[in-house]
Amino acid sequence: MTFPGLSLGRSVPPSRRTLLKWGLLSLGTAMLTGVPKALMAQTMGRMKTLTFNANDIGILNFALLLEELEAAFYPAVLKSGKITNAKELDYLRALGSHEAAHVKFLRGVLGRNALFQTSDLSLNQPGLNALLTDRTKILNTAVTLEDLGVHAYNGAGPSLTNPTYILAAGSIVSVEARHAAGVRSLLGRPTTETDSERLVKTVDLVAKLNPFKGRAYDELYTPKQVISAVSSLKILNNPINGSLVA
Amino acid sequence: MKLCFNWIVQPMVNALLPYRHLYNILCDRLSQAWSNILAPAKSAVLILPLLLVCLVFAPTAPAYAQSASQSARLSPRQVVEYALTLEKLEADFYRRAIAAVQSGALTGVPDIAKAALVSYGEDEAQHVTDLSAVLRSLGGNPAAIVIPANPNYSAILNRDPFANPTDLLLAGQYVEDLGVAAYKGQVQNLLAAGEAGKTVLAGALEIHTVEARHAAGIRFLRQTLLNADVRPWIRNASSVIYNENRGTVAVSMESQGKQMIQSPSPIPFASEAFDGYATREEVLALVGPILTAAKPSMMAPSRSVTLSN
Repeated sequence: MTFPGLSLGRSVPPSRRTLLKWGLLSLGTAMLTGVPKALMAQTMGRMKTLTFNANDIGILNFALLLEELEAAFYPAVLKSGKITNAKELDYLRALGSHEAAHVKFLRGVLGRNALFQTSDLSLNQPGLNALLTDRTKILNTAVTLEDLGVHAYNGAGPSLTNPTYILAAGSIVSVEARHAAGVRSLLGRPTTETDSERLVKTVDLVAKLNPFKGRAYDELYTPKQVISAVSSLKILNNPINGSLVA
Repeated sequence: MKLCFNWIVQPMVNALLPYRHLYNILCDRLSQAWSNILAPAKSAVLILPLLLVCLVFAPTAPAYAQSASQSARLSPRQVVEYALTLEKLEADFYRRAIAAVQSGALTGVPDIAKAALVSYGEDEAQHVTDLSAVLRSLGGNPAAIVIPANPNYSAILNRDPFANPTDLLLAGQYVEDLGVAAYKGQVQNLLAAGEAGKTVLAGALEIHTVEARHAAGIRFLRQTLLNADVRPWIRNASSVIYNENRGTVAVSMESQGKQMIQSPSPIPFASEAFDGYATREEVLALVGPILTAAKPSMMAPSRSVTLSN
């Protein structure tokens, strides 16, 4: 990529002023890095750390985070104006309303045990915008999110202890799978996921969690693997920790 | 086949024993009501459908706790045996569908649908292979899980589902959506088995959502190729053959003054964002006519059983 007026190929010794400028900048960065965590949090406004514990409440909150991200994605898609096909708009609207319903349900179940409010989430706007550049990027991102949701719910399921919670998770996860298959179909992609499409590669799947592997199965991801995949999407700023994702 | 029939019916009978009293009352009442309307000769033909209605509506425990408290809790091995039956049937269904496509009986099927049928058929065959191995590891015998040599697939739509692409995809949708609900109906049983059920639970979850992908894929094909008013997700409970909106049933049953009232589940099954489930008894009541190759006159119109809600 070249810009008019900028000649990157020519190497010019940096002027003293430039050196001074960069030096000051580094000093500033070093100072910022050294700032105590509490002060840092204050400086950055309400950047809440999300702490997920390894219990039913932690798992439901973890599911809530994924649903919140999906529920934020689809309205942003509609707002981008990049989707113009009527059928695709119909699908993406429906998906957005389903994810909002999942958020509402999980918040209802969690009540005061919800670890965060929707407003506590700090979305990385440039990161999100980068996923909304065109129709193909948008639909493929939707597939990534929905496939990830399926693997996440599957992975968390056996760790739940409350029978109503696991039935609820089952009731939601098959709808996420229908979403994944629906958007894949819009793209002309097969509805099932091949090994090479998976964000977590076969060698990294936890053997104990996955009796079966391959296209005929939606493998179980650990919450840690899911959070790592979410991070790679660069859409959320909030720090995440806790025994569930350790 | 007789063995198979017993295997299917016996658990249903066992499960219903505690409800025999209510069941008799309801069946009597329904039979009387029908006798008043219809000629006695005709009412005999209605017995099987009525039995199925009784089976579907028999549960009295709260819907959300049904697997745990209602019928006998299935062991992981029983769940695998039940799942293997369904998978063998699904794999066989796709084998016949693909044979019909290749032999020219279904020449109107577009390539995109052919590719899906082949792919889904391979997945179901893989499920049969892997569940068979799991059953063996649990001390069971997968070869003893048999389906008829010629299952009566006409029971699904009350006509041959392999005669034209429209019926083939509709039957496929019914079968796949039922499969999703069937797996979902077992997660509580497997969770209740504790550590002993963990592997089967993980395997069931891995299959459950792939069945949902299949169902969604077929729904997409119906919408796209046939202009059917359907989406990959379940907007309308009448697009499936099991009882999708369980909360709705509780209300309608109450309004009819029936004694069997289900507590509404905290899960909003009536919302299209939440898929419903089906118990083994419910699934087998629907699948029974396919497995038992009943005579056409005795065939339960499987859709009308649940369409009443």
